[in-house]
This record gives sequence, structure tokens and C-alpha cells, in this order.
Amino acid sequence: MDLEKIADIPPAVPGIFTLPPYDKTPPALLGGFCQICNKYYFPKPRYCRVCLGKVDETVLNSEGTVYSYTVIRKKPPLGLPAPYSVGYIDLSESGLRIFCLLDPMAVNQIQVGTAVRLAVGLLGHDGHGAPRLRPYFTPVKLG
Amino acid sequence: MASVSVIGLGMIPFGKYPERALVDMASEAAYLALKDAGIKPAQVDICFFANAFAGRLFGDITIGQNVFWEVGINRVPVINVENACTSGSTAFYLAFNSIAAGQAEIALVVGAEKLYVPELGLLDSGQTEWETQLGQVVSTMFAMRAMRHMIEFNTTVEQLAQVAVKNRRHGQMNPYAQFRTPITVEEVLASPVIVEPFTRLQCCPNADGAAAVLLCSPKLAKRLGRAVNVETAILCSGNYDSPQDLTCWETDYRAAKLAYERAGLGPEDLDLVECHDAFTIAEILHYEALGLCPIGEGGKLVEENETSLGGRIPVNVSGGLLSRGHPLGATGVAQVVEIGTQLRNEAGSRQVNGAKVGLAQCMGGDKAADTKSCTMIILSI
Repeated sequence: MDLEKIADIPPAVPGIFTLPPYDKTPPALLGGFCQICNKYYFPKPRYCRVCLGKVDETVLNSEGTVYSYTVIRKKPPLGLPAPYSVGYIDLSESGLRIFCLLDPMAVNQIQVGTAVRLAVGLLGHDGHGAPRLRPYFTPVKLG
Repeated sequence: MASVSVIGLGMIPFGKYPERALVDMASEAAYLALKDAGIKPAQVDICFFANAFAGRLFGDITIGQNVFWEVGINRVPVINVENACTSGSTAFYLAFNSIAAGQAEIALVVGAEKLYVPELGLLDSGQTEWETQLGQVVSTMFAMRAMRHMIEFNTTVEQLAQVAVKNRRHGQMNPYAQFRTPITVEEVLASPVIVEPFTRLQCCPNADGAAAVLLCSPKLAKRLGRAVNVETAILCSGNYDSPQDLTCWETDYRAAKLAYERAGLGPEDLDLVECHDAFTIAEILHYEALGLCPIGEGGKLVEENETSLGGRIPVNVSGGLLSRGHPLGATGVAQVVEIGTQLRNEAGSRQVNGAKVGLAQCMGGDKAADTKSCTMIILSI
């Protein structure tokens, strides 16, 4: 994906991943962290669900392994590619298990246990045809 | 002694009704339940109407008052209920509580849904939810559970397919089911893949449908005769902390445990179960949550025919959602209608012989890898 071209495209969901350019830091998910409870969240909630205290925005380590996944072979929603794939990823460090898109170009290379890292690209639209940036996990080692 | 009874059952065959309005289908189900019980409109104290998608698909809201007026019920409290796939069973839960609390003597529950609309596509939990924006549809959550269950417990695609085969075998004996042609494991696995590992015949079809149940106090039920006891009705919501174990719904276990405790019963006391088999894996996971088999052995349970009619614990003798179709708001009520019909020994060729206790389990909505709602209703005679 040409990073200069995607810089002006809005995110499908604001506030859950870092926006381009990515020349200094690679794309990452934005989560929350409660310092009192030592607890990570994704996405960042308004309040800590344990102490109802303040949650700080934090850039999550966005590498992990695939916990489970599936490939959607019916007509996709939101202009996503056919087929496309989604999964649950176990993130390193935070211990969060999160839902995300998987790399549609790597559908056949992703299995349970595959090491993945976050990428961001032009993927699908907003439901009315306007292009949107979406985060997705891609294999660390592309075959 | 149970504090609530079921005295009236009503249901229209589930299927495609492009020419019928939601209110028309719903009021027919209400009429059938009232006639079944021999209750007049003026005797009903409170009404609950369950529907999930009419607001989104047709722009219709607050539909219950329209439905109940069609059968002459007016002036009484009417509550419109939405709780995804458990909308109907949540309405039942509320009706149960209103009678148990002594606030009403007769309560009418109607669930109805029209899902055969052009270009419906894959159902999701709402366009503004971030997971939906990242490609999550209802079927993907079940698919990822199946993938994980297959890895951790060696559950096979054939075992998944056997759930669909069994429920269709049951469905052919149910005139209210939409799909009544038997299918084989080979046919299930050869049907087009929707979301891996599910083929089309492992995903419950859409349907239009309506079902109704009339509840009352045991005192009144005794006078009318032919009552079914409601041992308990449970509603739980999920826990959405991370990480979640995708090989089960913790909420399913929690709701089952609570239901057994409240009813003073256990899985060994059940003669039949209706459960939320929206996708084949779901039924296998519900076996485990309900304690019908040890954790991880749900695939084996269906493979060994234990959950078939005539088996140790028949599950979804109605044909389940996989045969009946899944008109969201109607499903939870339809499950109660099936259990009630069985306990009244009126189920014809799909009758579970000597059925005394039945459980209806339903589950609705997804949030952060848990369910949004789970209901358990235990009936006895």
C-alpha cells in the first residue's frame, strides 16, 4: 500500500489505531491503561471498569499470535475483499485477546498460532462507497 | 410448587411470508394462544412483544400495542422487548417475573420477526460497533469458536455436520419447521462454504415467523386444567473482559448453573432440550454448558446419537433453528411452545415418550467474544 496515498483517507473507526504516516513508528492499535488497576483495555473505555478511574490512552504492542480465525466466503459487507478473513489475536505484553481483520492477501497463510503484526491500509468503504483505512494483522513472515 | 404456569401455546409455521405484515403474523400467534387456553382478551393483565429487527428493516417501533389490539387487548401494560436472539425468551422471563411477583394473573408473550427481505446479507450487531466496522458478522464469532474447539478437543467437521443432519431429521416431523427434507453428512459438507468451517447447511436459515405463550398463576391454571409448570426462567448477560475463551461461553455455563439451582434440578432430570443451534457448533457448546456431556465431548455426543429422538437426551426435536429457521424475536417463544407441546404429549411423531421436564436455552448477540444475553427456561408437567 502506498503510504502517501492513504494519508488523507479517514479511518473506518477513529481512535483505535495510529494514523499514517508510519515512517517513524509502525502502525499500532490504540488502547487504554488504568495505572491503578494495572489493566489494559482495547478499545480505550471512558472509565476503568474495575475502579471507574481515569484510563490513559496507550499505544499497544501490536504484535501477537492468532488465537482463532475464519474466512468469510459469502458476499462481504462494507466493500471488504472476497474472501476476507478475521481473527482473534493474542497481543504480546498487554495480554489482550482482540478481534481484528486479517490480511486479505494472506488468507491461505494464516492459521491458529501464526505470528502476526499490525498493518493499516485502504480496505473497504464506509458503507456508502467512501474509502476507509482499516487495521489488519499480517503474518510476520510472509510466505 | 412452581409459581407460574403456561396455559396457552400458539404458533404459525415458520417460513416465507412476503405478503404478510409482521403484525398480521404476530396477532395470529396471539389468537392461537388465547384460543388454546380458552382465555378472553379482557382477562389478560399484561403483554410483552418481542422483536429484534423491525426497527432497522422497516422503521417500525413500539409494535406490541398494534399486535395486541388486533386480538382485542387494550388498556393493560404493553412492553416491547428487544434482546437480539433472546428477545422472545427475555419477554417470557419478564412475563414469568410479573406473575411470580403477583403483579398480574395472566400474561401474554408474543414474539415475531420478518427476516425475508431482499439483500439482507450477513447479520451484524449494529453498524456503529467497531467490530462490525472491522468485518465482524454474527457468523464469524461462531466460526472462530468452531475453529478453536476443533483444535483443542479434536471436534471434527463431520461431527459439526451431524448436528445439522440430526436436526433436519427431527425437523421433517415438525409441520411448523421451514425445512423438512432430510440431509446427509455428505450433503452438508458439500454445500457452499459461508464462513469457514461452516457450509450453508450448518447455518440456520432466515425465516418469517411468530409464536405466543400465555402464562398465568398456578391457582388459575389449576382451575383451567392442562397447565405446564414453569420451574424457572433465567436471564443473564455476559462478561466482556479480555481474554475470553472461545471454546465456550462462560455465560452459558453460569446461566445453566443458576437455572438448575433455582429449579432444584440437574441435567440428569431433563427429558428434552431445545437450544440455540444458530450454527452447528453452538449446539455442541450448549451440550457442554448444560452438562449433558463432559467439556470437550459435545461432538462425540451427537456422533453417538445421544441427542437424537430416542436417544439419552433428545436435543432440538423441533428441528431447531437449523430446520425451523430463525426469526429472531419469535425463536425464544417458539422453543417454549415446543417444550410445552412435548410436555402436553401433543407432539405427534416427534413426541419424546413420557417427557416430564424440558429446558429451553437461548442466546443472543455478541460482544467482545461473549454473548450479550442468555436465557434458560425449565418447564415441567
